[in-house]
Amino acid sequence: MRSNDVLGFIFAGTLDEKIPELAVSRTTASVPIGGKYRVIDFVLSNMTNSGINNVGIVAQSNFLSLTDHVGSGSAYDLSKRRSNLTLLTPYGGNSFSNAVETIYNIHGYLEHCREEYVLIEQGNVITNFDYNALFDFHSKNNSDITFIYKKCVVPAGYDRPVTLEIDESGKVNQIYVKPDNMAEESNFMYGALLLRKEVLMNEIREALSRNQLDIKRVFQETVGKFRAFAFENKGYTSFVSSINAYFSFNMDLMKKEVRDELFDPKRPIYTKVRDDAPSRYGLESKVKNSIIAQGCVIDGEVENCVISKGVYVGKGARLSNCIVMQDSHIGADTNLNYVIIDKDVQIKDGRSLMGFESYPSYIAKKSVV
Amino acid sequence: MQMFPKQEVVAMLLAGGQGSRLGVLTKKLAKPAVPFGGKYRIIDFPLSNCVNSGVEAVGILTQYQPLILTEYIGNGQPWDLDGMHSGVNCLSPYQAIQGANWYSGTANAIYQNITYIERYDPDYVVILSGDHIYKMDYNKMLEFHKEKNAACTIAVIDVPLEEASRFGILNTREDGEIYEFDEKPECPKSTNASMGIYIFSWKELRKYLTEDEKNENSSHDFGKDVLPAMLAAGEKMFAYPFEGYWKDVGTIDSLWEANMDLLDPKVTLDLKDIYSRNPMMPPHYVSADANIQNSMIADGCNVEGDLEFSILFAGVTVGKGAVVNSSIIMPGAVIEEGANVQFAIVAENTVIGKNAKVGQSPETMENRDEWGITVVGENTVIADGVVIPANRMIDTDTEVTAE
Repeated sequence: MRSNDVLGFIFAGTLDEKIPELAVSRTTASVPIGGKYRVIDFVLSNMTNSGINNVGIVAQSNFLSLTDHVGSGSAYDLSKRRSNLTLLTPYGGNSFSNAVETIYNIHGYLEHCREEYVLIEQGNVITNFDYNALFDFHSKNNSDITFIYKKCVVPAGYDRPVTLEIDESGKVNQIYVKPDNMAEESNFMYGALLLRKEVLMNEIREALSRNQLDIKRVFQETVGKFRAFAFENKGYTSFVSSINAYFSFNMDLMKKEVRDELFDPKRPIYTKVRDDAPSRYGLESKVKNSIIAQGCVIDGEVENCVISKGVYVGKGARLSNCIVMQDSHIGADTNLNYVIIDKDVQIKDGRSLMGFESYPSYIAKKSVV
Repeated sequence: MQMFPKQEVVAMLLAGGQGSRLGVLTKKLAKPAVPFGGKYRIIDFPLSNCVNSGVEAVGILTQYQPLILTEYIGNGQPWDLDGMHSGVNCLSPYQAIQGANWYSGTANAIYQNITYIERYDPDYVVILSGDHIYKMDYNKMLEFHKEKNAACTIAVIDVPLEEASRFGILNTREDGEIYEFDEKPECPKSTNASMGIYIFSWKELRKYLTEDEKNENSSHDFGKDVLPAMLAAGEKMFAYPFEGYWKDVGTIDSLWEANMDLLDPKVTLDLKDIYSRNPMMPPHYVSADANIQNSMIADGCNVEGDLEFSILFAGVTVGKGAVVNSSIIMPGAVIEEGANVQFAIVAENTVIGKNAKVGQSPETMENRDEWGITVVGENTVIADGVVIPANRMIDTDTEVTAE
């Protein structure tokens, strides 16, 4: 199989309910992250870097920021004669409330796409992954359905996780939905899988005829019926499944090995760019161990922070362990610790805000403090 | 035949010169493609000005080392110059039935592209050059041109009298009408320096270009031939006064100064609305060991050393204990641990080895007159511990080792 025979298919709203603050006006996939990215940039870039040139994104609600961000797909080289990005949203009263019905309701789109395979991905996954290795594995094993998994303790936020029991060859013997023992490391299946389009559609139709609306159960039932295999994602992976996970991913970016792996220049992460000037550091600035995007003016002190594009940090301001999203204005002589500041926020001069490592406080978009 | 919708204005950007005064920086690329201001190339300024002034047809005249420049311009998309019936085109010299000619002068370059200009049936043509840093609304200048019913309008900037002899000075009557050109005058009569930005009414320009082409004694240059000929023939020529930041970056010193101006809060040049291509790199990282004061940093940099009054382009690495002061570090360059870079321009992908010293401050010179900015060309390696004093120029693609 070749990568251009694979349709990329991303669910944008994965675990929206677990990050209610950040996802109040957007999907998980379009949550700003890492100073200049949105979460979906990673999966989308992985797809185009692997040679996939047709991608559909399912968004059931709140998709304005997502449409605005991905646009025509040109930032990912997905807007050409032979490459496309399609946003799939509810229409004509069709239900997108669960994945089974969603996939059924867009069968027209799926059938129209000329690709033979479908790669399903989730909009909350952050990793730099080469799908070509997965495609080789799938072909070599003559697999019908290949699940991607991560060996880890199931991250907080996954209430009904799926784990796999696999043999040495990678063959899946058993799929568990919400297994009993979640404290230990397991083969965590985070919703990424590869299969033939025809197999997917048949299974979905069949599930609907039985009123089986739980996609996890649908996949669970494929074991025994099909040759199901599992492919391990051995790279750095983060799941936006809670505010804490979101916070700690941003902080992970201070580690050189994480940055080197995620932002491998051979497999770049693309994003919609804005024409920001390089960031300016003033005479009294003091920045330590931080990630700073372009278009910022830093006149204060910043430590262990991720500062997005277009942010202003005033004189005498002291920020530590903060995530500041684009175009926010941090006034002079402010003191902020463990705070997540959404877009276009104004923190007036002299204000103090404190969260805690295990409970960072959150300031909503466009707030004035 | 394809019809092009009429464009009132067509801009022609002269980008073919070598820019030899920039030395190694223009050895492998044309001057307008020289990196500037942490993420731009010089040509971003006139191109962005065009778009922001509503000029949507831009011809770029290339000749010297065009590869990097044409690749950078591409289809013009970053500047919105990729319209269906207009946009940006790189115009290189070409072969035709009557033979092949290099562009022999600025005026000849335009003459050879009359066909390109006339596709748009313009009323006016703006002539720009690719070596100035400024923001300007050409529309306002065009309004002025129309108001004066001029054949040619030249933008001028007020320069200090003591510097006026470095410029082409325009002597005007009170209403701005030009009566004399004074190229680098010893005793300047005014302080109106030409900015190298001309608006012509196309009919008139076409006539004078054609006449100039027939004149065998002409060097086919706007400043030396065409403008004086128009003035001599009594055409209405006006000086349009411009206020704001403007800097010619044709020399190492002026290029360095213009970059440093970006760090000066008193300088009014705002980089907003200047468009460029953006490399796909993550935001920059500043380590716990770094100290950064009064500097500019682009995406993809990794800073572990000390920066002061410096500009880092995309993807620059500054190692632990390295000191970069009053310098410009172009994309992808690496300043290794303990290196010291002062008053220098380090070109793309060059490596300054551990504990090497490049450039020095004027204060450390025995003879101040010998001081100057040190320039290291692209893809060069300065080996560990090598010392390169002030006012040196190191070639591209070389390795400098300790003797």
